[in-house]
Amino acid sequence: MSASRSVPLLPLTLNKEGADRLVIQWNDGHRSVYAWQHLRNCCPCAACREEHLKPVDPFRILKATELVPLAPVAMAPVGHYAYKITWSDGHDSGIYTLESLRELCQCPACAGKAK
Amino acid sequence: MQPTHGAGQPKITLPGVKSIVAVASGKGGVGKSTVAANLALALRMQGQRVGLLDADIYGPSVPLMMGVPLVDPQNTAFPLERYGLKLMSMGFLVEPQKAVIWRGPMVDRYLRQFLMAIPWGDLDTMIIDLPPGTGDAQLTLTQAVPLSGAIIVTTPQEVSLIDARKGLQMFREVRVPILGIVENMSYFVGDDGKRYHIFRHGGGEKLAKESGVPLLGEIPIDERVAECGDNGDPIVHKYPDSPIAKSYQGLATTVIKQLAEMTKPPELPGLQL
Repeated sequence: MSASRSVPLLPLTLNKEGADRLVIQWNDGHRSVYAWQHLRNCCPCAACREEHLKPVDPFRILKATELVPLAPVAMAPVGHYAYKITWSDGHDSGIYTLESLRELCQCPACAGKAK
Repeated sequence: MQPTHGAGQPKITLPGVKSIVAVASGKGGVGKSTVAANLALALRMQGQRVGLLDADIYGPSVPLMMGVPLVDPQNTAFPLERYGLKLMSMGFLVEPQKAVIWRGPMVDRYLRQFLMAIPWGDLDTMIIDLPPGTGDAQLTLTQAVPLSGAIIVTTPQEVSLIDARKGLQMFREVRVPILGIVENMSYFVGDDGKRYHIFRHGGGEKLAKESGVPLLGEIPIDERVAECGDNGDPIVHKYPDSPIAKSYQGLATTVIKQLAEMTKPPELPGLQL
């Protein structure tokens, strides 16, 4: 939780925009936009973190589940502090805290800051 | 903090339970189970309907402290009852000399069963005695159980405060309201009537101030606490007029007041896909 916030960060609404985007409206007025694929790429679970640390294997054989487009099938709150996304390939171990979701925002303003 | 288990399970609901309070500490050995048991009894003595769930799967203390022996789960209805409290503990199921050697997912599974499969009925307060640290049991409970608040138990010295701060930070990060700090083994009253601060002085107050949470109570040292705990008759029940029992009564009053005044954290919105 950011120490600089006087009011805890809270999402007011979550909406799916088109087939490939998530929009979160926050209680501080910010509107976050995410590509689902971006959220999956940034999955914070232990297995994905480990995977990210490995060098890219150019000869890696794709699994059958990787040949179909990836889509979220559920996004459910975890306690009062996070969300869990379940993906169409069955992966569901990433817990995205509210703070981490905000940091992953891809809206033009946040994407500009990240560069 | 990225558990790969537990979060995928359904949320636990206990419709008959008004408040669920976790008693936690970062550090072991600060008397957390003693505080949990005596607080539960003090709440009961103030007319509340109280449950005490021992969430320390690896080192359960409730059976010994409450004087409840091992039972045969095949012909025993849970929760057990003692001194007017409803009780559940892994120690009712596993012999005291046997170690429970499990990884996190099993702890998660049993805690869920203790909460969901046991008919707790209508309770004003359920006290959950957590194991020390910030591990699997804490995560299961904070992710799946609608905790009303957490009480952090510490002793006055810095070595205890270091870990108590970690426990406090964990509850903050998972957005469980912190009811406040309890300083256990706070002081000893000698025969001369003077207070002796055996484990230093003011640690609980210092932690409460720096964290911006209330100091709920300072529980004195009384050598009879150990005797009562080991004999299965907690001091609040055995010596209800003792100064330490009065401290627990004060703590219970404060906890009831805090729970009544507390604002429930908002539920996060969901997303249908």
